[in-house]
Amino acid sequence: MGDFFQTTIIVSILAATVRIATPLLLAALGELVAERAGILNLGVEGNMLMSAFSGFIFTYIFGSLWVGLLAAVLTGALMNLLMVFMAATLKVEQVVTGLALNMLASGMSLFLYKAFFSGSGNKLPTIQIFEVVQIPFLSTIPYMGEILFSQKLLTYVALLMVPAVWFFLYRTQYGLEIRCLGENPKVIDTKGLSVTLRQYLAVVCGGVLIGLGGAFVTIGSTVRFIPEITAGRGWLALVIVIAGNWKPSGILIAALVFAFLEAFQLQVQGVGVQLPYQLLLALPYAVAILLMVVKRSTSEEPGRLAVPYFRGER
Amino acid sequence: MNLGSLKIEPRLEPKFSWQLLSALLALAMSMIVCALMLSAAGADVGKAFYQIYKGAFGGWNATVKTLVMSTPLILTGVAVTVAFQAKIWNIGAEGQLFAGAMMAYWASTFLSNSPSGVVIPVVIMAAFIGGALYGGLAGYLKARFAVNEVLSTVMLNYVIRYVLSYLLVGGSWRDPSSFYQQTPKVAEAAHYPLLLAGTRLHLGFMVAVLAAVTVYFFITRTSLGYEIRAIGFNPTASRFKGIHVGRTVVIVMLISGGIAGLAGAGEVFGLHFRLKPDISTGFGFTGIIIAMLAGLHPIGVIAAAILFGGLVNGGIRMQIFTGVPTAMISAIEGIILLFFLTSAVLTRYEIKRVKADG
Repeated sequence: MGDFFQTTIIVSILAATVRIATPLLLAALGELVAERAGILNLGVEGNMLMSAFSGFIFTYIFGSLWVGLLAAVLTGALMNLLMVFMAATLKVEQVVTGLALNMLASGMSLFLYKAFFSGSGNKLPTIQIFEVVQIPFLSTIPYMGEILFSQKLLTYVALLMVPAVWFFLYRTQYGLEIRCLGENPKVIDTKGLSVTLRQYLAVVCGGVLIGLGGAFVTIGSTVRFIPEITAGRGWLALVIVIAGNWKPSGILIAALVFAFLEAFQLQVQGVGVQLPYQLLLALPYAVAILLMVVKRSTSEEPGRLAVPYFRGER
Repeated sequence: MNLGSLKIEPRLEPKFSWQLLSALLALAMSMIVCALMLSAAGADVGKAFYQIYKGAFGGWNATVKTLVMSTPLILTGVAVTVAFQAKIWNIGAEGQLFAGAMMAYWASTFLSNSPSGVVIPVVIMAAFIGGALYGGLAGYLKARFAVNEVLSTVMLNYVIRYVLSYLLVGGSWRDPSSFYQQTPKVAEAAHYPLLLAGTRLHLGFMVAVLAAVTVYFFITRTSLGYEIRAIGFNPTASRFKGIHVGRTVVIVMLISGGIAGLAGAGEVFGLHFRLKPDISTGFGFTGIIIAMLAGLHPIGVIAAAILFGGLVNGGIRMQIFTGVPTAMISAIEGIILLFFLTSAVLTRYEIKRVKADG
């Protein structure tokens, strides 16, 4: 019996790991595409929060998850459009722009939520959320079925995005050009191709992925909206990009490791084991700093990250 | 065409008048957006603006309250200014504020029976040291291991919040008589003295103004201040000039963190008289907007912080009288920064008349 319980606990921790990794993975992949194009988007947290909010509110208004999902994706793209306009067209400090977007999102989502539901009293508005999709046959595989094939739609999307983003960046002409922007944008410019256009493309596409990640936080997970519901996942996504060494496969591993820490902590707290859970919650952030300290000789960090490109520069 | 033509050229040194103009332009644009948001929320725009003004600067009491609110903002704004002058993106003023508050509280627990003359200087020093160590950690990681300070300071913000939460829930700091996550009240002798009897304006405000003035002279009149601005301008050239960039980075972060730490002590010993997780409502982040809006000028920070302190208090009054949620104020803060960044682009260029002779 003891063995049986241990196995179910491990399986449920691992299933939770995959679930928790979903928004982290989507946002980190979105950030990766932007950073490869040389744009450091620090507004991921704010972008996810706005997307999560608009996913919630549009689902609430229209009663349709698909409308909510579309709204979240559009919001993600729009927030990143604002980011890339400031970064590529106006060429202002990317770090400060990203922070401004975070503050804007933090205030705006709460303001709109309160303004919209001001008359509804103490009853918190709720929505229907996405159901678990059991993949036929595969979900019946012992253990693996529960961990990998009994998840929500967006989780499958997130996992499929890993090879998709890899294929885009490493096997297509556009992907090559985008990676070139992060290393040597002059090459693109000299060929008569537009640097700015490609940066817009990369960052807005990245925004779509971040929007999907934001959508998972609300309409993929919880029936209520609460302020700051993304709770630092956007910042973690930024760290995951670094920990994953700017590669899709590395990002998958890093997202799963961070998600595992969170899932483990939840399980421990749920069982009621006396553990300083706050310290466990702080662990991913501390680990992230350590990972940045451990220098890798094969760092894939784009050489031109956060450096605006001016034509005619030397 | 002998008339010549107008040419837009990059400007090397932005003019002060243009900087001021762009800041005012950003504020004006933000007010327009603010009006749109207010009418979207179904409020009377004029009435809401009037209530914001009343809450911020409408009379003696409101003005003093605004100064109380601006106290931590001046300090975080100055903290950010020091770092940003060196183009070190310290996003961690929020965490450093808590580190300072925690160190100061910890120090005060050893001095529960000492007179004010002993406790208060110790508390202020401890706060500076706590914030400095936490900021310095990020500086050291940047100088020694080239760890991006943006990401490390953000991570450190989260770490310190969880550590505080641990100490207040499971640890020894919790007030056993309280339901909330907070420490017991600090000793009477540790309370910051009031600057104006009958108000809540405390010593912290003077500390903040002094910090701003000191930093101003430090940056403009000392060789270390010059080095700080030099590495912000061009780190490579600075290195060739013989400036020890790594060491300067650590010093900058020590100073920046220390000043942010002072903000934490001010809130604990001047206002709440106990340590709890909500002594700061994002003061570290608001400090970034304030520093940018002030054009990274320490004295300008005082003015911008008082303006923002007024906005916060005005927002509270607006919510009471018009029902518009105060969250609008933090949205507006982000919008002001975006508009400011946009309008600041104007200061980078100048329009020149070029003669059409070649």
